[in-house]
Amino acid sequence: MPWTEKHRPKIFDEVKGQSPAVGKVMEFLRNFPSRKKAIILHGPPGTGKTTLAHVAANESGAEIFELNASDFRGKNKLDEVLKPALEQQPLVKKGKIILVDEADGISGFEDRGGISELLRLIELSNYPIIITANDVWQKKLAPLRKKSELVQLKEIDYKTIKSILIGILKKENKFIENDVLTRIAINAKGDLRAAVNDLQTAAGIEKSEISKISFDERNKEIDIFNALRAVFKGNPVNDTLRVFDSVNMPIDEIILWIEENIPLEYKGEELAKAYDLLSRVDIFKGRIYKQQYWRFLVYENILLSYGISASKNPSIISRGNFTSYRKPSRILKIWLNNQRTAKKKSIAMKYAKYVHIGEKRAMAEFPIIRQIIKSNQKIQKELKLDEEEIAYLKKH
Amino acid sequence: MASEIWTEKFRPSQFSEVVGQDGIVKRVESLTNSMNIPHLLFAGPAGTGKSTLALIIVKSLYGKSWKDNYLELNASDERGINIVREKVKNFARTKSLGNVPFKVIFLDEADALTPEAQQALRRTMENYSSTCRFILSCNYSSKIIDPIQSRCVILRFKLLERKDIERVIYRIAENEDLTIAPDSIETLYEASEGDCRRCINILQSTASISPSITSELVSTIISNTRPKDIRVVLDYALSGDFQKSREKLLDIMLKESISGQDVIKAIQKEIWNLPVEPEIKVRLTEKTGEVEFRIVEGSDPFIQLESLLAGFVLAGLGK
Repeated sequence: MPWTEKHRPKIFDEVKGQSPAVGKVMEFLRNFPSRKKAIILHGPPGTGKTTLAHVAANESGAEIFELNASDFRGKNKLDEVLKPALEQQPLVKKGKIILVDEADGISGFEDRGGISELLRLIELSNYPIIITANDVWQKKLAPLRKKSELVQLKEIDYKTIKSILIGILKKENKFIENDVLTRIAINAKGDLRAAVNDLQTAAGIEKSEISKISFDERNKEIDIFNALRAVFKGNPVNDTLRVFDSVNMPIDEIILWIEENIPLEYKGEELAKAYDLLSRVDIFKGRIYKQQYWRFLVYENILLSYGISASKNPSIISRGNFTSYRKPSRILKIWLNNQRTAKKKSIAMKYAKYVHIGEKRAMAEFPIIRQIIKSNQKIQKELKLDEEEIAYLKKH
Repeated sequence: MASEIWTEKFRPSQFSEVVGQDGIVKRVESLTNSMNIPHLLFAGPAGTGKSTLALIIVKSLYGKSWKDNYLELNASDERGINIVREKVKNFARTKSLGNVPFKVIFLDEADALTPEAQQALRRTMENYSSTCRFILSCNYSSKIIDPIQSRCVILRFKLLERKDIERVIYRIAENEDLTIAPDSIETLYEASEGDCRRCINILQSTASISPSITSELVSTIISNTRPKDIRVVLDYALSGDFQKSREKLLDIMLKESISGQDVIKAIQKEIWNLPVEPEIKVRLTEKTGEVEFRIVEGSDPFIQLESLLAGFVLAGLGK
């Protein structure tokens, strides 16, 4: 279970770093119904908007009824979804809170009035409505602002984040060095969810590996994890083009990270699209090397960030919060196998030289060649194979 | 002492012994007899006699001292054109021994060099043209830059025909006391794909099991040497389990160090045995061809193959 879910606060006391907002939400619910029936919690990602809504419901003994952007596509859709919520009585008599998560995603005009549907909901509802949004000052949300109370959630300062991280580690019975924690907390830039995800990732790196990786390396990995998350989970927006800018890693290495993790996120058609793009990235990479024309990097970068991000099927909305991304395994495996096949290579080299062919060709035809050399000791002598090489032939 | 490796033991040592390349052999022989050869470009598939002919040339030019006057390089094995130039420089510095006024450099797989590296090679060829002759070999002459082509006499080698292969097989059989079942000739010929070296290797490999060569025995040997489990890779992909398919592919390529091109070859053949609609087979084949092209052009084989496997996942969904 992702730690962001597992350690999500349940009661107001557990919500750290947002005291003014917590107070306002409590007051809003206590006085309901007052002049305004909706409250908008707005602020950057990972500051606790959704959490606060759930905690509020929990504390006031209400049931949460959650709507998201796709429920506001067209008039009938909303009615259909809302009907049970507004009419059915819960088994145990309880209040309800309607949560409209990520109102930024509701279209203003294209869909013919997703926002006006939401306004209609506010008009009709007998229950308090909590709306969350990253940027409440967008033009399309203007009518909504008039009908709602606004509560701002601020970026959480790094000291608070750090103390929360320490709390989680205690519960998980895990240990991470202090300086790493500080870096994670600062790196998160006020986004607690990102910090907790990083924490889980860092805690998942094996101890033996931690000692081997220098601190910068680990920090670098955390950066790539954030970038991968932005590409795979986020919608393709212009900012996506810059996700790899802050990743301190050559693009060839980033390609390997994407290659390794596509199948963890995408399936079927998405998978095929993403790998098709990646194969094109690889072609541009080859063209750069061949022609020393570095402007092709632009295409490499766009396809690798925006392109991979846009490979996802937009109608699949929930993608899960946390994916435990994997380190590229190919390089390590290649290295291990080179160790294993070193003898084979040295045999092929001796053979290639002897019969006037290239080493690559000798490697490619090794299965046949092996049979010939293996069955004839005179040939082994002729090629001056050493004992280890002969032993290799016997074993394989 | 004669070699025990048949490709060496039965390598032609005179012009008259070379099979399947009559026109070329006559031209090269008359050039060699004049004791002066131009730069040569040998173009043609593997195992058709390019290295052999180069060796015959130097042996007829220099007799016993051929080794001192001959440098053999393989462009795809040397790390970069600078190494090639360095070796050429060292070799060309000293004068040739005997009465031939030049030395011979054989550069195998010259088409593995990038166009830029070939430009550098051209300079090297010019700088040492008074003391050295170059014989370049390549699979495709189109991959050799024009300035080099124009400096060379180009000779095109053909794939060996059935009758040529047959001649080689019987010559070896006589010397090695093999009995050859008539139908095994066809099997050997097909497996060789017109590549004489491959044919002889398969023959020796088979003979190491039994001196009586049958079609069945040859087939067994060949199937043992094909990349196995390619079908497993494809089956995983078709069933939608991309992860397993990818792992298996990496396994096959690394453990047996099988090249991307060999994997692609095996995939292309296997497509016809897959339980998919004809239309999808055609589409997969087209995509396979595209991926093979990219790999030949120098793309990362693993990434390209992954994109192909993702295509098989779609095929598994009937798309």
